[in-house]
Amino acid sequence: MLRLIAIEFKRGLLMLRRYPLEMLGQLVVITMIFYGLFLGARYIAGPAAQFGGRLDALVVGYVLWTLSLFAIGDLSWGLMEEARTGTLEQVFLSPFGPAQVYLARNLAGLLTTVVLNLGIMLLIMRLTGARLEFTWSALAPLAAVLLGAYGLGFILGALALLFKRIQSFLNLFQFVLMFLIMTPFEQSQGLLRNLGFLLPMTPGAGQLRDLLARGQAFDPQLFGLGLLNGLVYLALGLWIFGRAVGAAKQRGLLGGY
Amino acid sequence: MSVLVAENLQKTFRSRGKTVHAVAGVGLRLDSGEVLAFLGPNGAGKTTTIKMIAGLIRPDSGSVRLDGRDPHRDPWALRRLGAVLEGNRNVYWRLTPLENIEYFGVLRGLSAAAARRRGRELLERFDLSEKQNALTQQLSRGMQQKLAIAVSLVHEPVLLLLDEPTLGLDVEAAETVKQMVRELAAAGQAILLTTHQLDVAQQLSDRVAIIREGKIIAEDNTEALLARFSGEQYEIEVAAELDDERRNRLRQLGAEPLNGRIVYLGPPQNLWQVLEVLRPLPLVRVEKDRADLTEVFLKLVREEADA
Repeated sequence: MLRLIAIEFKRGLLMLRRYPLEMLGQLVVITMIFYGLFLGARYIAGPAAQFGGRLDALVVGYVLWTLSLFAIGDLSWGLMEEARTGTLEQVFLSPFGPAQVYLARNLAGLLTTVVLNLGIMLLIMRLTGARLEFTWSALAPLAAVLLGAYGLGFILGALALLFKRIQSFLNLFQFVLMFLIMTPFEQSQGLLRNLGFLLPMTPGAGQLRDLLARGQAFDPQLFGLGLLNGLVYLALGLWIFGRAVGAAKQRGLLGGY
Repeated sequence: MSVLVAENLQKTFRSRGKTVHAVAGVGLRLDSGEVLAFLGPNGAGKTTTIKMIAGLIRPDSGSVRLDGRDPHRDPWALRRLGAVLEGNRNVYWRLTPLENIEYFGVLRGLSAAAARRRGRELLERFDLSEKQNALTQQLSRGMQQKLAIAVSLVHEPVLLLLDEPTLGLDVEAAETVKQMVRELAAAGQAILLTTHQLDVAQQLSDRVAIIREGKIIAEDNTEALLARFSGEQYEIEVAAELDDERRNRLRQLGAEPLNGRIVYLGPPQNLWQVLEVLRPLPLVRVEKDRADLTEVFLKLVREEADA
């Protein structure tokens, strides 16, 4: 598995080195979208409006949203692209099996995704004046969120294998993801708060907002719940993906898009 | 031991209420150093069979053994197999040839260092060393195909599946790929080759299997199959008009002058008497009738269709 991660990391870096403008373009577009929203909100609220902690929470949510978009979308977009160009079957010919290869690809892509999103976060902070209190303990809930994101990625990857063209669904799914990541379930009460623990990625996202935007202390119990949530969704994602691979082989759906 | 044993493979697809029996009881066997041309019209079940052998389509019943191991139960059986699939790029265009070989080598279970070492060897062997650091998308179609074959060999598989390896290549590139296939087979590689280019199949294969509507309708040694469909007749061409006397003597020997050619159907040992009659006219050609694979293929496929 380590060999797989290392070679996927190398592949990712080579692609990045050869096509740096793609990443730069993503960085600029994603930042500009948030800045546009920010300017719009400030226009509605009036020039004297101060967003304070809410802006900080929003920045955390937005950056986490784009990070999850990459983590989730890489697999399904990648599968569709590889099926179109004709490398998918070669990947499936690996004795490691597609789940291990794509898991390695996800883990190897983590560094690029995190660096890109760090760039987006710093740019947004500079443009909007948002202030986030970085703490190393934030990496723990971030990992929990990423586990859940990869789980969802594998579920969408399963759909891409079986239904082939799911671009429209993926576009719509961005908004579902926005709801999951940006809704502050951690500040609600009762049933809604409990629901937040069951939905993918939400406990980790909530804890990140607590840590980075609200300056709260790290709560190990909350992290435990977030981690459990992430692991359950990752396991579910891998299981569904495995079933989809079996079904695709049964129905002869690999290749030939 | 055979490197490939596929027995009684069956596959049915259901789509929009229709049931298609894509493969109905196909069996194939292949030994080291042997090239088996797997031929059939479009939709006959070739690709489905190949993909069942490669573990990419699960058969409804029947079995596949690659060097004794079942790729549908034991994923590491795929270590025995290399494949270049038709209609696919097979390699990453944004990587260089050496990077592609290294990447797929690791995916097939080699260490990165071993894959790189093997990659340099293969690029050297296939005359691609000069291009090892060029982006694959900048290579010619022929070079890309050679690279795809090199990539499929990185982990030294015992069986190589080549699906339409010369399709879309210009004459020179196709010749190079054919030469590669010959050399690989001579070095002991077992190759399962599918192609619509029957002249390519005839030139490269030791054995031929023809599939139609999911069933193998003929399987034999290529030479034996061609001989079976070749006639006993000889054709002789001379660069001169035949006079009446010669025509009569030829007819007495069982040779028939037809449109500038002489067709002889008698016993082979009497051919010399026919040639004696023609002496000293300048001979252009003396040839025994020999079917080519195209004729054999069409005849068999049509016979089956009429049956």
